[in-house]
Amino acid sequence: MSEPTQKSLGGWARDVSESARSLWEGMSVTLSYMFKKPITTQYPDRMPLPVVHTLPTRYRGFLEVDMDTCTACQACERACPIDVINIDLIRGDGVTTPKTAMERFDIDIGKCMFCGLCVEPCPTGSIQHTREFEGAAMAFDNLTLRFVPDPAKPYPAYKPPKGADAYPRKPLGEIVRKLIREWDAPAPAFPQRDGQTPRPGPAEVSHVPR
Amino acid sequence: MSAAATAISLSLSTIAKTSNPRSPEQLVDGLLRARGIEASSPLSTLAMVAALLAIAFIVVNCAAIAAGIFSWLERRIAARMQSRVGPNRVGPAGFFQWIADAVKLLLKEDLIPEGANVHLFRAAPYFMMVGFACTFVALPFSHALIAADLGVGVFYLLAVTAFVVVGVLASGWSSNSKWSLFGSIRSAAQIVSYEIPAGMALLVPVLLAGTLSTQGIIRAQGGWPWQWFVFHDPAALAAFFIYFISALAEGNRAPFDLPEAESELVAGYNTEYSGMRFSYFFLVEWGNMWVMSALATSVFLGGWQLPGLDAARFDALTGGAAIGLEIVSLALFALKTMSLVFVIMWLRWTLPRLRVDQLMSLCWKYLVPVSFAGALFVAGWMLVVRAAPVLDLLMRGALTALGALVVTLFVRRTLSNVRDVGDRLDVRGNW
Amino acid sequence: MSAPGTDPSATMTSGKEVLKRIEYSGEMLVNMGPQHPSTHGVINFLVQTDGEEMTRAIPEVGYLHRSIEKIGERCEYAGFMPYTDRVDYIAAMFANQGWAMACERLFAIEVPKRAEYCRVIACELNRIASHLISVGTMAMDVGAVTPFPYALREREFINDLLEELCGARLTYNYLRIGGVAFDLPDGYSERVLRFVDHFEKVLVEFDRLITQNRIFVERLRGLGVISRALAIDHCLVGPNLRASGVDWDLRRDLPYSAYPDFEFAVPVGTGAVGKTGDAWDRFWVRTREMQESCRIVRQALQKLPEGPVMAKVPRRLKAPEGTDAFSRIESARGDMQYYVVAGPGEMAHRLKIRTGSFNAMGIIEKLSRGIMLADLVALIASLDVVAPEIDR
Repeated sequence: MSEPTQKSLGGWARDVSESARSLWEGMSVTLSYMFKKPITTQYPDRMPLPVVHTLPTRYRGFLEVDMDTCTACQACERACPIDVINIDLIRGDGVTTPKTAMERFDIDIGKCMFCGLCVEPCPTGSIQHTREFEGAAMAFDNLTLRFVPDPAKPYPAYKPPKGADAYPRKPLGEIVRKLIREWDAPAPAFPQRDGQTPRPGPAEVSHVPR
Repeated sequence: MSAAATAISLSLSTIAKTSNPRSPEQLVDGLLRARGIEASSPLSTLAMVAALLAIAFIVVNCAAIAAGIFSWLERRIAARMQSRVGPNRVGPAGFFQWIADAVKLLLKEDLIPEGANVHLFRAAPYFMMVGFACTFVALPFSHALIAADLGVGVFYLLAVTAFVVVGVLASGWSSNSKWSLFGSIRSAAQIVSYEIPAGMALLVPVLLAGTLSTQGIIRAQGGWPWQWFVFHDPAALAAFFIYFISALAEGNRAPFDLPEAESELVAGYNTEYSGMRFSYFFLVEWGNMWVMSALATSVFLGGWQLPGLDAARFDALTGGAAIGLEIVSLALFALKTMSLVFVIMWLRWTLPRLRVDQLMSLCWKYLVPVSFAGALFVAGWMLVVRAAPVLDLLMRGALTALGALVVTLFVRRTLSNVRDVGDRLDVRGNW
Repeated sequence: MSAPGTDPSATMTSGKEVLKRIEYSGEMLVNMGPQHPSTHGVINFLVQTDGEEMTRAIPEVGYLHRSIEKIGERCEYAGFMPYTDRVDYIAAMFANQGWAMACERLFAIEVPKRAEYCRVIACELNRIASHLISVGTMAMDVGAVTPFPYALREREFINDLLEELCGARLTYNYLRIGGVAFDLPDGYSERVLRFVDHFEKVLVEFDRLITQNRIFVERLRGLGVISRALAIDHCLVGPNLRASGVDWDLRRDLPYSAYPDFEFAVPVGTGAVGKTGDAWDRFWVRTREMQESCRIVRQALQKLPEGPVMAKVPRRLKAPEGTDAFSRIESARGDMQYYVVAGPGEMAHRLKIRTGSFNAMGIIEKLSRGIMLADLVALIASLDVVAPEIDR
């Protein structure tokens, strides 16, 4: 690789002048940036606007479902390539109880890859990506967004009016912002063995199945 | 005990004989004499040793603080050059970041890898610290501020800076890591090779001043740029650049940062270190920037010399004027040194890294021959100038004008760079 | 230059074998990776070295294997689209394009003209972004840190544009089988044109800062020379192949999508500073390709036709079992190929993705003989290997 080379005096001088030239060019470029405004921002507190407001409308943040316009068609559940969405339906008689109601509408944000495939088949635009993206949870379990908070009180499916081309929808992001606040909840207790034994001591910890 | 004390006092008095009258030893000596204590009494020796310790304490701490501030400065400058903001959370413009980092490093666990040579591993950072701290003995800060104006100042500085290589080698070898070993071997080869051009380049101002003492070399120059040694003749100008390049290489600074090339060797010889021991390496690296810049300022850029004020007239000043001008000279010296430090940082964030063989060929094929030729040229030029002093003035004037021209063209180029990409000057935004 | 204890005729050797040989020579074995700053992801190199000079470097791949091909056989055709983003997350648009094209051929779907133009604009922007990462990291591996933030800054502008287009900055999932997910937003072409104008100026500055830098040129000239024949033998593709002097670009030579409508040059390595096919040539070809991409984007925005961006696609995509389709596109890392065999249901029976980085990895061992340790990182960077694309 590094075979010895014989350099003439001219080549030697050219080397020196070439090096000086590239120093000149390179150093003037880097110096010019000393006198320009840095391009980076000081996220999150020293921003002219909160980042959420600067994102484009198509931004794919946390998913949000407006249960008031959800028709319980399960198209999003089918479209999801990684089974992030879980919907449990119960059938009623249609008189005392609604014909179709949702006991559960969970989106596991910890698993979601924000691809947007679930949004596309939704007939009423109930499931949408919001521009929300900030949030931190204390535990993986907390990351699941439960749009039906109480399974004992199932949500009736929305019947879209015939021929409608627009559906009432809550402002985008309002629901999910409320749900994200719950992420700060403490993590569930460490799983205990056979229900009653006390939490294992330090010596045993390594044997506890996760 | 008394034998040791006599030896110290003897060595101190030898140093005192070769130093200027305002050095600290003379100060202590004068204070003692004023109280009627003779230099030969044991009390005087004790006072001398105490003064020595105090000075050492101050100097080492100043060096550490300077290195800390440089770490912040370097990060801010690098960030700005890369269109970033840099540390911005701790204090105004993130200034106290270096204190936060120091505290963090102090509190971190001091890990010693398995299979490491424990004693050597522990000792290596101190070798580096000692080599680095020793340099501050002979470095001037202003007209009077110098720990000891050694008669062999430049030679002493060159000798102690080479001590760092012991620490580098020891840390790399004792880490029991192949990457560390690579780094330390590279570093050893590099430092030993670049000693030669650095020494030869420093020979030029030594020839011109006729002394090895740093204060003496500064006194041989003047306050105005054309009185500096850097613009004395073309060989001196070349010697300045050669010294600067060699100092970069000796300090392991980019583009010669091969020993710690992060893209090749992860972190080089300090890969396995953590906590305070790790921080010593960086203390030395950043502190070394001050050392190399201060030395270059002293021997090439006129040091603390004030424009329009002769060194002899400066000596004669007393009272408030002396103290005021002392501070001005300190500020001027710091300003010159800091500009060189800025250039070192600027180079680091501009240039790619050389390969090992290119590093060696740069040293042996380019710097060494030029530095030898330069030293010869200067010797000849001094003879010429003695015969025709007008040539000296002409040459100094021409080189200073050339320097000014280059700086002007460079500033214009930089401004046009800003315009070329459709940007505008803005130094105040986004701090 | 061959060091003792090596057999130049051997091409692939296992780590164990190397260890056995090293026992008897004075050489040492260093593991470079999987956690090393310049292996560009989790790749391991077994470096057999005699001091600074290397005897060889053996790449070990597989640390980032996520069995994407197998997932493709367990996933609906449309549902696989977001997975293709992860095949090459630095240039996700191309992986989308390859999958979309393979499926469109499988189901015989005609893509609307406007959708093709949208694809070209998105892909070419993505190509610039990918090449920016490549040249930036290459400069960083050679030791110049500053070009990297500059390159990333420009890439962020592209990310902003693509985010506006499809809602994501990295894993776009913009293309659909039969078209694209969204039309261009209002005023999009003005913003893209403004970026392209700005970018061309920045590219000149970038050249002055690093491409023409003396140290950079000295580091890369004559390093890792891949001759024309060697490049073809090792199935190199994309910029790596073109840097070796082979004038071959699928966009021009096997035209697909809307590429026949545009005029653009194909930069080919000439050995301007050293030998044809050295590392500098590969760097240079990428910088020129960015320029050409700017040209294509300009033309595409100018000629953008009106119309729908999505073809009529049946809700359930199903092809007769056993029918197959094949697509080839010019990705940022070269020829990317998808081969899909339809299965009984709505899933593929077999899916194969062929990517450029994998082949580029194969040549490293050959090129690494006798070069310096510091050159190895520059060599890896010059081949622009991306770990997810190697392992998939």
